[in-house]
Amino acid sequence: MGKGARDQSARERIKAQREAERKQDQRRRIATIATVGIVGLAAVGAGWWYAASRSTPETIAQSLAPITVTSDGTAVMAKPGVDRPVIDIFEDFQCPACKQLEETSGSTLKNLAAEGKAKVVFHPVTIFPEQMNRGITRANSVRAGAAMRCVSDGQQWLALHDKLFKEQPSEQAEGFKVDDIVAWGEAAGVTASGFAECVTSQKEAKAHLDYGATIKIQGTPTVRLNGKDLDNRVAFNPQALREAVINAGG
Amino acid sequence: MSSPSRRVSSAIPWVSMVARLVLAGVLIVAGLLKIDTPALSVEAVRAYELLPVSLTPVVGYGLPVLEIVVGVFLAAGLLTRTAGVAGALLMFVFVVGIISAWARGLRIDCGCFGTGGVLEAWEEPNYLGTILRDIGLVALGVWVAWFPPGKFALDSALGLTSSRDKDDDEDLDKDEETV
Repeated sequence: MGKGARDQSARERIKAQREAERKQDQRRRIATIATVGIVGLAAVGAGWWYAASRSTPETIAQSLAPITVTSDGTAVMAKPGVDRPVIDIFEDFQCPACKQLEETSGSTLKNLAAEGKAKVVFHPVTIFPEQMNRGITRANSVRAGAAMRCVSDGQQWLALHDKLFKEQPSEQAEGFKVDDIVAWGEAAGVTASGFAECVTSQKEAKAHLDYGATIKIQGTPTVRLNGKDLDNRVAFNPQALREAVINAGG
Repeated sequence: MSSPSRRVSSAIPWVSMVARLVLAGVLIVAGLLKIDTPALSVEAVRAYELLPVSLTPVVGYGLPVLEIVVGVFLAAGLLTRTAGVAGALLMFVFVVGIISAWARGLRIDCGCFGTGGVLEAWEEPNYLGTILRDIGLVALGVWVAWFPPGKFALDSALGLTSSRDKDDDEDLDKDEETV
């Protein structure tokens, strides 16, 4: 073999070796990228699952604590003799965040009351101003709030309360029509005499708005524990809410 | 050998690092503030009224952790180009969402940092400020995707920088010497 040929083959060997190294490097790089990528995706999946499990509402484990409708239009849910801690819920039937609160933490409130660990007071109010959506949103809210004052039995009150949140219309369109509310009330077992007439005439609208005017809140929903505003991050987190209430009870 | 272009190109990795850290910081803070109260995050997504209600929990649960993971990857400089694209895309989606909410006359807060997306009665939406901020963050994400991975990036330590970037400086020089 001549010198030129030897150089030639050496050069080729080096070239082949470099090629092999390059390929190996490439494989290693791809493996690392794939691993890191999978770890990242797994973390997102785990976080999603964590979030979903964190916001799972409690299931209602036992029959509800007695509910009393009071003369100012609020409803008190508590076992006899339980008057602390007090959880005040200020909510507007038309407010989407209030619906979210009901869906997330409503069952926790019911359970806490049933366990005798809290006294829950519902305050239906109307938060939406007249100038929003040409008054449509406010009118929806007032029809619902006024209708609640036509129910005198506590169990029936809460049943209609839950039903109204379930049927909450869009903020942009007319909803909570009086005929619908009457039908929902009857489906929820409301037996109060003159219920239909009371809802249809909206004769309680003024009392509902007057009550709301006496309430000083920053917005809806407002949840107060023993008179102090609860952070939404607690109110909207069933576990944190339960913890805060238990801690306030001692 | 400190010609202006040299100096500019040597500054690029530092700029990339700063862009990574700023975008990562915003994403991580936004994600952490939301992750503990998924119901509020779902409510914030719903408030935009862009997705069918059945999809809002899927997005509401996923968004905070997605922000955190993308943020951590950016901070670490891991899969930097992909993370930069993901960060820019996230911010771009937020910009589109806010512009659309504004155009439709919705009164919402952006929900960016875990407030649930619903404005209180006395609050005024600050759409323009939010849009400008998020466009700035989109720009940071694009920069990071364009000039990855920047200083102090795990990508470099793990040898994950794409061959193109590497060939540009080291490999090419070596090839010229040996061949």
